Amino acid sequence: MLNENKIRLMTDISMLEKERSRDLTLVHRYFRGDYIGLHLLRSLLGYTFCWCLGMVLVGMCKVEDIISAMSITDLADYLLGYLTWYIGGLAVYLMITFIVYFVRYRRAARSMKLYLGGLKSLERRYELSDRDREQPGKGVRRS
Amino acid sequence: MIALFVFREKLRGFYGKYDVFITPVVRFVLGFLAFHLINRDLGYMTRLNSILVELVLALVCSVLPYGIMAFLAALMILAHISSVSLELALILAILMVIVGILYFGFQPGDSYLLVLTPIFFHYNIPYAIPLLVGLAGHMASAVPVCCGTAMFYIFQYVKQNAGVLSGDTSAELIQRYAQIVRSLLMNQAMIVMIAACGAGVVAVYLVRRLSVNYSWAIAIAAGVVAQLGMIFMGDYVFDVSVPMGSLITSMLLSVVFALVYYFMAFAVDYSRTEYLQFEDDDYYYYVKAVPKISVSMPDVKVQRFSRKEPEYLDEDLPDDDDEYLK
Repeated sequence: MLNENKIRLMTDISMLEKERSRDLTLVHRYFRGDYIGLHLLRSLLGYTFCWCLGMVLVGMCKVEDIISAMSITDLADYLLGYLTWYIGGLAVYLMITFIVYFVRYRRAARSMKLYLGGLKSLERRYELSDRDREQPGKGVRRS
Repeated sequence: MIALFVFREKLRGFYGKYDVFITPVVRFVLGFLAFHLINRDLGYMTRLNSILVELVLALVCSVLPYGIMAFLAALMILAHISSVSLELALILAILMVIVGILYFGFQPGDSYLLVLTPIFFHYNIPYAIPLLVGLAGHMASAVPVCCGTAMFYIFQYVKQNAGVLSGDTSAELIQRYAQIVRSLLMNQAMIVMIAACGAGVVAVYLVRRLSVNYSWAIAIAAGVVAQLGMIFMGDYVFDVSVPMGSLITSMLLSVVFALVYYFMAFAVDYSRTEYLQFEDDDYYYYVKAVPKISVSMPDVKVQRFSRKEPEYLDEDLPDDDDEYLK
């Protein structure tokens, strides 16, 4: 005979598996530190590349100012200014990256917890039904 | 009102049944609109400026993710602009790569907003997009909306200055770069609209998430106020004037769009709100449960009553047809 509760539970589990497959794979594949670290590294490289592109843009526009900076100290001032922008921007960008991926991992871990909880509950149901099948009279008063 | 809810349920049912076909059609229409508007506004490269190219590209986009559509649109824009001014195309390419790496590394799913925002601007309903995005998306979606806004103003700049940009001016290359960058980034109307769109998205998103009754309706009002506030502030600070008639019309239309979306996505009955309180081992829960408005589709059964043709046996019928007809 069909067990309606079990079918409902299995449907819920498979829906969860389908809807949050990305989350489940993520938690399965990475530890939290590795996941966040990997994305921080990606962000560092991406930001540095973008900063270089930005410098090309600035260089194209301000090449005259840079050339007209006669002394080495003026040039160093220019470079220091842009380097400060780089470091400040990088710090902000990495912080955003950290927050975003920290939250994403936490959400994924919650999905995994739900999924495992569902599986455990299903397993318990199977165990109970197996036990009932093996000892059909247990717990039933017979007159 | 019930008829509207029934209509909504029908629409939902229809979408649920045919979403496999509807989604590609929507993508095709969006792609075609985007490519058509690009060609119409910036059709400087004659090879790309044909309806066939637009159709083929839209067809390709209909089965691919929105990111590809944004990428193809960006390539098309760069191709058109490069035939007017190579310098401007280079600067734009750099800006696009920077936005692509810094933002779309996080949220690749939002790239459709880059395409959608200039389309809304083109049809003179720019205020609708922050309201809709604030209701449907998240706070970070303000970034692609702002980028789309900037893209629209870059279109305008290229359209208005095509002659100057393509002309062989005596200015040196470096000066031209500086001039273009200054014109692109220091466009005050663009800055005001970017601020208005960003503020609109953030205001709508923040208010929508509040646990108060009619939060979505209040969020729409907050979005309108935030956008108007930014525009008036821009008018005051930068002296960027916006025609009042078109502003009011456009804002009203945008509110109508937002209300339609509100009705479709979030119809709840606040009069039947329930407050629950319970606990488990770790937490106390204070829950506010607001029931959704749902109407069951009318199950119309048509019972046909028809008089059956009498069945005659052959022997009952007259032998001669003529005699029967008399």
